[in-house]
Amino acid sequence: MAKARAIIKRLKAVKNIRKITRTMELIATARFKKAMDRAAEAKAYTEKIAEIVGDLAAADLSFSHPLLERRDSEERVLVLVLTSNRGLCGGYNSAVLRQAGQRLRELDRDRRNVNLEVSGKRGLAYFKFEGKPVDRAFTHFEDKPTFEEVDELASRFAELYTSGVVDRIEVVYTQFQSISRQNAVRETLLPFENLTAGTDDSAASHSVDYEFLPSAEAILEEIVPAAFKAKLFKCFLDAAVSEQIARMVAMKGATENADEMIGSLSTRYNRARQSQITSELSEIIGGAAALE
Amino acid sequence: MIAANTIELTVVTPEKTLLSTGATSLQFPLEDGQIGILPGRAPMVGRLGTGELQVETQTGQLRYFIEGGFAQVKGHAVTLLTNRAQELGSFDTAKVEAAFNEALNRSVTTAAEQTAKDEDLERNRRLLAILKR
Repeated sequence: MAKARAIIKRLKAVKNIRKITRTMELIATARFKKAMDRAAEAKAYTEKIAEIVGDLAAADLSFSHPLLERRDSEERVLVLVLTSNRGLCGGYNSAVLRQAGQRLRELDRDRRNVNLEVSGKRGLAYFKFEGKPVDRAFTHFEDKPTFEEVDELASRFAELYTSGVVDRIEVVYTQFQSISRQNAVRETLLPFENLTAGTDDSAASHSVDYEFLPSAEAILEEIVPAAFKAKLFKCFLDAAVSEQIARMVAMKGATENADEMIGSLSTRYNRARQSQITSELSEIIGGAAALE
Repeated sequence: MIAANTIELTVVTPEKTLLSTGATSLQFPLEDGQIGILPGRAPMVGRLGTGELQVETQTGQLRYFIEGGFAQVKGHAVTLLTNRAQELGSFDTAKVEAAFNEALNRSVTTAAEQTAKDEDLERNRRLLAILKR
């Protein structure tokens, strides 16, 4: 009797867990769709910025801007790590943190001055465990990062870079490549490198003679920070989309495992019940036979 | 095919495409003054200022408040990339006035705060001027 009871208890627990993981999967799916839409909407801005940069490049301008200048010695490096606030999303955070940890060890070996900035409670917990001091922590970036929040961060980064407080700014985040493919990557934010990358052919193929108002220099002065901000914003959006996908996949796996477990536990319970009945029956028959 | 006397206007903010419509004429602020655009304007790339965007469409007028960014005119297509844009009708004059006064009376201690204060003042002053017109 005791064994069948214990199995029933476990079965109930597993069923409850299945309910939770299934709900989380559905929530993650809904959030993922929203995040995906946001990312798609934001893409129009980035593309247009790239187009204008291409137009400027086609106008034979030399690009010079404080944010584009590469420093000779990169003594002070700022690393921004984007993780999630919540767990239960499979290998999402560990992949990012592995990348970040590797990079930090590299920088330590080269005796660089590292400023570490972390977004997300999961990353903060990890660095606390590792005993690495975090210079700045952000936990307000949820699954819907707004441009205003990122703008604030980006303005501060630009200020730090131009004033020479840091010589290089890097970001470690999960890049969204497709729905079935997200990679933890490390990218250099500043000096801003690939401003004109990928825009060359489009600018050359349909070059238009533009009038620049008030002047090409004034536009350049403004578009470099704008492109930088758009890039950082994209990192945050990518991270948000990837987090939801990771959670969706992890919860789907968990639900499937729970289903499997429910099946095997039910079988075990039925067997236990049957053998119990059989033994009780044989006891009764045995008892009756002894009385005759 | 777009008729020769219309403009295809797209207003894009970093978060989304706010507006995509046909228009007969446009008015918006560049960094150094107001500009008007009619169909068939020569290609242009401009830096936007802060102020009012007026769009004349066949069905009526649309008014937005835009804050900085870029304008690109290329054939029939006019694209405005702006950091922030909001429909003028959605502003509450009393609230804007309160924000203006708050910025006016804010005490500052650092250069960054001063710039922020100046920006807020400038933005709200322009917004008020448009709203009270």
